[in-house]
Amino acid sequence: MTTISGTLSDEKEKVKSREHTPKPYMNPYLAGFGLGLVLLASFVIMGRGLGASGAFSSFIATTVNTVAPEHAAGNHFYAEYLGDGTTNPLKDWLVFEVIGVLIGGFISGTLAGRIKKTVERGPAFSSKMRLLFAFGGGTLMGIGAKLARGCTSGQALTGGALLNLGSWAFMMMVFAGAYMMAYFVRRQWL
Amino acid sequence: MNELSHTRTNHLIDPSMHVWGWEIPVYLFLGGLVAGMMIIAGYFLFMGRHKEPKCSCFYLPIISTIVLSIGMFALFLDLEHKLYFWRLYTTFQLKSPMSWGAWILVLVYPALFANILIRPPEIISNKFRLIASLSEKINRMKNSTRLIGILNISLGVLLGVYTGILLSALGARPLWNTSILWMLFLISGLSAAAAFVHLIAKDVQEREMLAKADNTFLTVELIVIILLIVGALSSTQAHIDAINIILTGPFAASFWVFVVGLGIIIPLIFQVLAVQHKIIHTPVFPIMVIVGGLILRFIIVYAGQYSHWSHTVLGK
Amino acid sequence: MNAPLFKFDSFGNEFSLIVAVIIGIGFGFFLERAGFGSAKKLAAQFYFRDLAVFKVMFTAIVTAMIGIFYLSWIGFVDLSLVYLTPTNLLPQVVGGLLLGIGFVIGGYCPGTSVVASSTGKIDGVIYLVGVIFGIFVFGEFFPLIENFYNSSDMGKVTLPQYFNLPYGLVVFAVVLMALGGFIGAEKVEKIFAKKSLEK
Repeated sequence: MTTISGTLSDEKEKVKSREHTPKPYMNPYLAGFGLGLVLLASFVIMGRGLGASGAFSSFIATTVNTVAPEHAAGNHFYAEYLGDGTTNPLKDWLVFEVIGVLIGGFISGTLAGRIKKTVERGPAFSSKMRLLFAFGGGTLMGIGAKLARGCTSGQALTGGALLNLGSWAFMMMVFAGAYMMAYFVRRQWL
Repeated sequence: MNELSHTRTNHLIDPSMHVWGWEIPVYLFLGGLVAGMMIIAGYFLFMGRHKEPKCSCFYLPIISTIVLSIGMFALFLDLEHKLYFWRLYTTFQLKSPMSWGAWILVLVYPALFANILIRPPEIISNKFRLIASLSEKINRMKNSTRLIGILNISLGVLLGVYTGILLSALGARPLWNTSILWMLFLISGLSAAAAFVHLIAKDVQEREMLAKADNTFLTVELIVIILLIVGALSSTQAHIDAINIILTGPFAASFWVFVVGLGIIIPLIFQVLAVQHKIIHTPVFPIMVIVGGLILRFIIVYAGQYSHWSHTVLGK
Repeated sequence: MNAPLFKFDSFGNEFSLIVAVIIGIGFGFFLERAGFGSAKKLAAQFYFRDLAVFKVMFTAIVTAMIGIFYLSWIGFVDLSLVYLTPTNLLPQVVGGLLLGIGFVIGGYCPGTSVVASSTGKIDGVIYLVGVIFGIFVFGEFFPLIENFYNSSDMGKVTLPQYFNLPYGLVVFAVVLMALGGFIGAEKVEKIFAKKSLEK
């Protein structure tokens, strides 16, 4: 009897550990290959690459348009995302793609047991400061991405694969900027 | 650009294409949700689960009462002549689904109260002696809980079916004019309710049971949707046009993505994995099911108003 | 030529949104698999601890680049119909620099922050709020910087066109460069792993 209950509790433990310990990340080359195939599929099916920041631009333009329609119409940046008014600007390819990204990330995280409410930071960094940095970095990134006509997904990844001149220049500058700044914020991460 | 409209495409000749706003779909969704909750609570009572201290059958009727009242309020907002709504209760029209609905709702509330009385919350029973003594009487009666359970199940089914019939009885819109819509709304109400109870249930065993039940409901819902599509596609041209509004037309993206994809298929796959203990239970998938059910009502109501018997309206 | 399918009217706008979600799911899935839902993992790139960002990005670029090159070479895809963002060199250089600085401060880029948010990282959510705020700031100041934004316009131009080299040769060069980069990255990781052990 003891052996049976022993194996049973072992089995339970196994189930528990399977449910709660996060699985290791995928081999980076394999993950990159997968990502590349997704990008290629997007080229072949849609004739366009991936993106992310464009979806948020649509969101902002819609919000501004709801609050102050005249202000939005007078601004070329918003106007571009609002279109001619015949369709809802949120019914946009990138908006739906980002919804997919949200779901895809969640699916992968769920399958690997990596869903956890945390604030990612270095051991010597307070989480309040980390959130402040996250907001500040995000703001800079938002401005930069719009200035560059795309972010890491829309420019570096997509344009990189299409050998787009501007994208390659952009990519070099992203790495340059990040390595330049890294020393000053090292406490946040290390 | 101004379009010249002639004959029946003129909005002044046929009734305006879009007369129902958010109120009707919200009411239909909440009605379906309550129907599902009544069936679940009734089933628990019937199975004698009320002996379990943490059975959700005690607080489900309370939540149902509140949710149904919110839904009724939404419906009330939509009424043109708000002060005359009581007239529905001066008559009973056998052929009018509105009349049926009004009377079903009259019966639903007492059934919910009877369910609450099996074990009323202490705050209420301490204050009102009458409720405490009524509860005592009910519990002393033989088979009373089973009877109340059956009553809740039957009225739940009626309510759920009625939310679909309400639309399908309106012959003016081909998308609604299908004999299977009631089944879709009933099963969608059940799946949303099972997901909701799964979210809030305090009893672990119940939670597992509801996750499994929800998976069954979602599977059936998927089959019903397929039947609805096949049925419409093999019907008249008007029905084919109507279903194409959802399949490929202006509501296609929302339908396939939010209702079928995110509202049924993905939660189903992951709840199956969760039930098998491959992954942990998260509240995300039940929420997706509930939101999917809400969006389904919106799409059916909006696309239904868009659908029409005459071709010209779609610009064909 | 029968691809890009969308450009050849294989399906309509509504269906393209469904495709968008499916492609997005794949995108998000592999980002999360690679560990890009974690700011620590992403930032480690800039301290030479973990060069996954470089490896994943360049493997993806090389894969898609070779794929699209091959498919257009055999005549399956009309490459001229694949959308190419026009190059405005100066604003893109400045934008890239800002983006890089924002990357190491914020820890994510817009796409990875979506994945981070969906896996429960609070900093990812706050970062997203920051991105949205940043775009709003950009939008509000847009009339002032519109001239700069449209400056140094070079149109749609690729590296082969700009350097006047055959497309295949550039593809080959990028592959060589990436392979060299991967070997270098493995070496750098080993060196830094040893260093942190000695500490």
